Amino acid sequence: MNQGHAAKIHKEPGLRHSRLVLGWREDIGDFGQEATGYLIQKLRAEEFAEIAPEDFFSLGGVSVEGNLARFPESKFYVCQEHELVIFQSDSPAAEWYWFLNAVLDVAEHHCGIREIYALGAMVSLEAHTAPRQLLSVANSAEMKESLSRYELAGDMDYQTPPGERPTLNSFLMWLAKERRIPGVSLWAPVPFYLAAMGDAQAQKKALTFLSDRLDLRIDFSDLDREIRQQNERLARARSRYPQVDDYIKRLESNLILSQEENGDLLKKVEEFLGEED
Amino acid sequence: MGVRLYREPRLDSPILIASWPGIANIGLMAVDTLRVALKAEEFGEIEPWDFFYPKQVLIRKGILERLEFPSSKFYFKRVESRDVILFIGEEQPTEEGRIYAEGRKAYRMANLVMDVAEKFGCHRLYTSGAAVALTHHTMRPRVWAVPNNEKLITETKGYENTVLMSDIEGRGGQGSITGLNGLLLGVAKKRGLEAICLMGEIPVYLQGLPLSYPRASKAVLEVIGRSLAIDLDLSRLDELDQKIEKKIEEFYQQIPLEIRGQLDRLRQAASAQPAEPGPITEEEQKKIMEDVEKFFKRQGGQG
Repeated sequence: MNQGHAAKIHKEPGLRHSRLVLGWREDIGDFGQEATGYLIQKLRAEEFAEIAPEDFFSLGGVSVEGNLARFPESKFYVCQEHELVIFQSDSPAAEWYWFLNAVLDVAEHHCGIREIYALGAMVSLEAHTAPRQLLSVANSAEMKESLSRYELAGDMDYQTPPGERPTLNSFLMWLAKERRIPGVSLWAPVPFYLAAMGDAQAQKKALTFLSDRLDLRIDFSDLDREIRQQNERLARARSRYPQVDDYIKRLESNLILSQEENGDLLKKVEEFLGEED
Repeated sequence: MGVRLYREPRLDSPILIASWPGIANIGLMAVDTLRVALKAEEFGEIEPWDFFYPKQVLIRKGILERLEFPSSKFYFKRVESRDVILFIGEEQPTEEGRIYAEGRKAYRMANLVMDVAEKFGCHRLYTSGAAVALTHHTMRPRVWAVPNNEKLITETKGYENTVLMSDIEGRGGQGSITGLNGLLLGVAKKRGLEAICLMGEIPVYLQGLPLSYPRASKAVLEVIGRSLAIDLDLSRLDELDQKIEKKIEEFYQQIPLEIRGQLDRLRQAASAQPAEPGPITEEEQKKIMEDVEKFFKRQGGQG
């Protein structure tokens, strides 16, 4: 593989001590795409580089989403005011080691990256009304220590279960560790019945942390409005379907639903929100 | 990035025996049993990053401690009769969701294995795997052999309980070996090294089960043991075989009676005496194969 040519730099970002935030498109509830997209838009970040797709994606055609043809994209954006680099990408389908190294090469050699924040969502069995806690996995004890003043659940023990594979963010964090770049994966819980359509509250949880940590001073009033609307829609779903209300009440009481009930709740919420759209 | 050797043992014209996961892990289990029996020592590995996605992450108290990749390791043992190098791969390098290795990565890995073989002066290479056959689980599995060199045919024919793949009825001298087992044979030929692939038979109706098939691994090991002129303690495989036999029998009883009746004929055919009705004809074999395939496709569709 001609790894040296994977990254295309359109314009040098002119950074020396920056931070990298990244997210993947095919995340639960489009979390990675939405959260990085929000940052790009709010901070008016500008595209400056990309990773060429040919070595990393199956290019047997295009996918169609929302009536539009889509092609894999892996783009870097820069916000010079905050010394921030944002990377938003489809998850590569092959040559992961080279792809992630290409990301780190751009970050290290063109942006002087000092820290990495990898965004990801995880399915939660709790109700959307339950308080959310952001999980963090640091790639060094020093990074963990530096995050201790934030409200993060940062003491997790975990081992990949048989039959499953580590996430791309874990792979990236390990490679960053090898390069001695401090980094942290952040995991925002998304209630399972919102996993297909997205969860503004999960986004806000992660983005609030990033805003504090990176001193971005973001005004979240638009996201707050979105959260309010989401909660109102879910409240309407509860009034329309007593069964949905019952399921969510049980989740709110920390009870576990059966697999069948989980499926029913998911279906009814999706149907209702789909009708409203 | 490539091969990393922790040490360079002095070996006298060793044999290299390689294995990877495959159907029922027949080859892998055979070579791993050999590794344990010989108390072979690890001396190197193929670096995994270019070939594999990580298999496990270990997080302790919120810190990423370790990321593990599928291993591809070399072991050696100085045996009185003949020195041995073992290569055991935990996964086959695949591309775009394929089951068996093929393509650029597989070719590269096969060449890395060959680099080690040449470096240590190997004069022969064995690969091992499974042969899906129209056989019955109560029958002793044979070993199908494919050499990469005409000179080896006579020798291979002399192996006990072994048949040349090209001599199997109905194959017309043809066949193919998927994945690294086959690829390595080809790369060895290209480099002028003699190589033989040994495949233990597994009944066609067991090939999709998530079970190992130790009796086929044993059959492969018996051939390798004789070739190395060493006595191997294979009791570990016998014990495993006994444990798995019950599960196989339970599964077998779930197969519809009409299909099972046909499969039972395979067993009868094998033990047929001259006075009894002759063995199953080629046409009947095809029919059994078709019926079995249809049945398992149906099962797959339901699952």
